[in-house]
Amino acid sequence: MATSQADVPGWALDALTGVYDPCCREKGISVVDMGLLRSITVTGTHARVELMLTSGWCPFATHLLGEIEDAMVAHPAVDSCTVDVVWDEAWTTDRLSASAVRKLRFLPDPASVPDREAYVAAHRPQSEEVHR
Amino acid sequence: MIGDAFVFDGVAHPFNFTEKNVYDRAGEMFRQHLYAFHQVLTPDTEPKLSAEQYLKDWTPADIQDMVFEHSDTDMLVAMPLPLTDLFRDGLSPWEDCAELASRDPERIIFWGSVNPLEGRRALDLMERQVGEFGAKAFKFYNVRYDYGAPFPWRMDDPRVAFPVFEKAQELGVNLIGVHKGLPLGPQPIEATQTWDMDGAAAAFPDINFVIFHVGLPFLDETCWQLIRHPNLYASIAATINFIVRSPRTFAETLGKLLFWCGEDKIIYGSEAPIFQPQWALRAFQDFSIPQDLVDGYGYPQLTDQAKRKILGDNLLRLHGMDVDATRERLGRPPTRGIPAN
Repeated sequence: MATSQADVPGWALDALTGVYDPCCREKGISVVDMGLLRSITVTGTHARVELMLTSGWCPFATHLLGEIEDAMVAHPAVDSCTVDVVWDEAWTTDRLSASAVRKLRFLPDPASVPDREAYVAAHRPQSEEVHR
Repeated sequence: MIGDAFVFDGVAHPFNFTEKNVYDRAGEMFRQHLYAFHQVLTPDTEPKLSAEQYLKDWTPADIQDMVFEHSDTDMLVAMPLPLTDLFRDGLSPWEDCAELASRDPERIIFWGSVNPLEGRRALDLMERQVGEFGAKAFKFYNVRYDYGAPFPWRMDDPRVAFPVFEKAQELGVNLIGVHKGLPLGPQPIEATQTWDMDGAAAAFPDINFVIFHVGLPFLDETCWQLIRHPNLYASIAATINFIVRSPRTFAETLGKLLFWCGEDKIIYGSEAPIFQPQWALRAFQDFSIPQDLVDGYGYPQLTDQAKRKILGDNLLRLHGMDVDATRERLGRPPTRGIPAN
């Protein structure tokens, strides 16, 4: 996961592990495991969260911002919180935690696939082989 | 045309964004959400519409003017959006799309849309949309909102989906689009994923299916299906509008598609009037995959040939239109003589 402890205080990670990515709630993947948090800074009692979106089109984004804000202000050291969506950096699958990768990712980076056709043939579901 | 590329825009909707068209809070949130994306993703160097200018009833004439008079678009698909529990007319009713197409049938193609859950009524409407209004394809939405609650259905459901596919074939239509990813309001997420496309593509190998919005954010799933089924395609409508504001996001998506699925399976769409088409077209014409992504991730570079296919040639082919014949019909220069890359 690209999000580092330097970028996000540990207590904030704990606070946000119960906030789920809207598209992965049924898989139990939080915004932390999705790597959606770029940074969290706390100035006095005000927290600022920088949030990356996987697609940027998510209509649940507004709801998600509210959930993150609620989770942050529930911490005794935080009275207020703003959540800003990041546009200058793309979310990539590099940001997924190991557990999220296991649940979500199944295509490797092209650079690690020397022969695409061979990869597809090797990973094609057996049920399709019967019909080929 | 932009450069030497023929531009066939795969999706525009005559939206009725007026407040009186909104049923409830979900509809209000949806129209405000689209306006927010207009504001956020339109580059700062381009005109952005005020809420008053944007949240209006976009007439077919408005769309025609925006797309053809203010961009380098050559042809257009007029596409319905039936959010009939959020908006009184569904937001972009098929009748308005048919009217849009009728204003310039040489350049505007009407795609019909029905609710497969309506059974016989849906099949009858398909006949009407093709027979009376010239629909050349159909667009489906896997979550319908017709009864006060979301009703999901699957593209691989033999009882719900297959009858409309069979009817399409009977009517001579072999092109079907489906909205995937990007939930349209408070939808059950699982219905927006693409896992049902395997069954649809395998059961109807003579129908070409276009997965709109690349199924984002479920890109790996979509790529894996496009690799394995020759009759699956991906539309980058809405995705392309990240090209200026978040170019690496767009490059990641396009790079994966180019590697796994290839340039023959990617289709452009503007989503007008959410966005004025020209700025994204211009940015795409100038776009290249950042070299560190090519070197580090192994993404193919976006070539001029790939741009031509994505911007228009692929969609022409899916409509059964010869690229050069269409260029000639519309008075555009032929592709002959254009280097392959």
